[in-house]
Amino acid sequence: MRSENQAGRLPEPPSPIADDGDEAHFCRTCAFASACQAVGYGKPELRELHCLVEHVGPFRAGEYVFRTGNPFRAIFAVRSGTVKTSMVDKEGREQVLGFYLPGEVIGLNAIYPEHFPCDAVALETSYFCRFSFPAMSALAARMPAVQTHLFRLLSKELGSASLLAGDHSADERMAAFLTDLGQRYAARGFSGTQFQLSMSRGDIANYLRLAAETVSRVLSRFRSQGLIQVEGRQLLILDPAALHHIGRSLLPD
Amino acid sequence: MSHTLAAPAFDPALIARYDTAGPRYTSYPTAPQFHTGFGAAELREAIRVSNEEPIPRPLSLYVHVPFCMSPCFYCGCNRVITRDVGKADRYLERLYREIELIAPLFDRDRTVRQLHFGGGTPNFLDMPRMRELMESLARHFSFARDNAREFGIEIDPRFANAEYVRGLGEMGFNRISVGIQDFDPVVQQAVNRIQSVAETREVIEAARASGFVSASVDLIYGLPRQTLAGFDRTLTEIIALGSDRVAVYGYAHLPDLFKAQKHINADELPDPATRLALFGRALERLTAAGYVYIGMDHFARADDELARAQREGTLQRNFQGYSTHGECDIIGLGVSAIGRIGDTYSQNARDLTGYYAAIDAGRLPIARGLELDEDDLIRRTLIGELMCHGELDMQLFGARHRLLFGEYFAAELARLRALAADGLVTLDGRMIRVTARGRLLLRSIAMCFDAYLHANEAPKRFSRTI
Repeated sequence: MRSENQAGRLPEPPSPIADDGDEAHFCRTCAFASACQAVGYGKPELRELHCLVEHVGPFRAGEYVFRTGNPFRAIFAVRSGTVKTSMVDKEGREQVLGFYLPGEVIGLNAIYPEHFPCDAVALETSYFCRFSFPAMSALAARMPAVQTHLFRLLSKELGSASLLAGDHSADERMAAFLTDLGQRYAARGFSGTQFQLSMSRGDIANYLRLAAETVSRVLSRFRSQGLIQVEGRQLLILDPAALHHIGRSLLPD
Repeated sequence: MSHTLAAPAFDPALIARYDTAGPRYTSYPTAPQFHTGFGAAELREAIRVSNEEPIPRPLSLYVHVPFCMSPCFYCGCNRVITRDVGKADRYLERLYREIELIAPLFDRDRTVRQLHFGGGTPNFLDMPRMRELMESLARHFSFARDNAREFGIEIDPRFANAEYVRGLGEMGFNRISVGIQDFDPVVQQAVNRIQSVAETREVIEAARASGFVSASVDLIYGLPRQTLAGFDRTLTEIIALGSDRVAVYGYAHLPDLFKAQKHINADELPDPATRLALFGRALERLTAAGYVYIGMDHFARADDELARAQREGTLQRNFQGYSTHGECDIIGLGVSAIGRIGDTYSQNARDLTGYYAAIDAGRLPIARGLELDEDDLIRRTLIGELMCHGELDMQLFGARHRLLFGEYFAAELARLRALAADGLVTLDGRMIRVTARGRLLLRSIAMCFDAYLHANEAPKRFSRTI
């Protein structure tokens, strides 16, 4: 029963949306802050960048951020929430391309074709920074750090498909998938061992090219081996090293 | 986690003081909170979400068979009295359609680990009908392997024999629950249920011979003309039957709510002191005979899976009382059946007319339900902990649910302190522990945490706490 009295409720775990940055500081999850700071740009120096950034959202679970064929004008950095990108193949089947977490950027694969080659759907309530791409390119031309970072993001995007390439067992794929998610959360300052799987098991299955039953069977096996704990969508990685070991052939050293 | 609970202590004066109306918390929130705003669309959505979990929960089916050959006057269940088996066919036809409507909504790899047939009288269905029903269920759902499933059925031994029970075993049933209430002939006459020890024994022994893992019997105290001496003789017979579990329910006389009870002469009901003494005697005799008190109305042999689950900390509440399969999503099939999918409860139409109308229109027959919010979920877990394991680590619970326990439950703890003063619980900075005396008053303890009970002084339609 909902009560107006919220006494005794502890705050939600750290959420990037609670931290919007200000005149002098970047948002905690800003996709570009580290690149800029690393070469000595502070926020005041980046007024221009700030001008080309627009906070958008919320997008509710199931809402499209963009659709295949939409003209490409901007890239989106996830501020909070999770996004799934996917495309529909010639047989009309959905192919999940990836999942994007706070601090990660979607839309990079639209730079060349100048229209979005995939759909992006929010998997839970999500907020974004929208970067106008023409303005961003102009800025990148003047600020090498921004350009370098853009290239880095692009190459990361190209490399991320390797999780799926090759002939790997379901256990290897799943272990690599969970390890990769954990590492990405950890890189943004969240817990890398305890997080919510906001994607459905169907989406995980599709992404890893496994059957939905296999996803559950492998997770159940990991659970009984004491590697993970699963409660609803909440995941707790109990033995990250063992999981990394299982998925090692798919993971960067 | 493993711990031993204090054996319950019977304190009639204390129990008498707490003998007020209260829910049994087979669900939280309790059924009176279900509302018509939750219908078929909401249930479909809950099922969809439940399929999308990384490891979807296994399934538990509850099948309601509402028919009885003859009316027992104490009954408060949803049932239809008839000798016309044709009525069952009209019902089964709808039940099959309901199964066809709901089963495909669940992903096929979600196996059925638990099945329970309740009533009414499930054995109103003869062997061929029962077999057809089980075949339909097996066709539309994926049954778990033999050793991983718990398939139970309630049996009225007056209308079942050894052969019938053997047949059930062949169909996959491995748990049986046998209604008795009282063997005292005077009481049996007053409640219109004449049942011999011999026919009861036949059913239980047949179950054992057919490989059933657990047999349970039901008794009721507080029935008309019940005496301590008569009930004591019944207890002797029960103990000799040697079932694995015994449930001892308190009779709730609510003739305005349950028509059949109008046949009971209120003057013949035992007075409150006798009522309590009857339960006290059951407690004394059963524990002396090696049964462990689980909580509420339930006793089990120390080696029964229910007692084991309690020792291992895995026991949970469900609609049948206590369960070792709390992790399942429950699908309610048949008139008035209640389901529990994810964070929702839903109940089918409570009368045959409404149930048939929905099915005939091709709709899921959901009449009402509820989606639990975060507060409901927190309280459901808390009440379950107290009723199943008799203790709660407030710090740990608070950390797990992001609460400052003392602040969030300030009003509840104030209520609980009054119970602590009466010796039902002990409270220190960290733990709530149900005492030996409190174990017989679990409802009163749980009620302290029921937000709905204290929000609007809900109408008291519940049976007595003991």
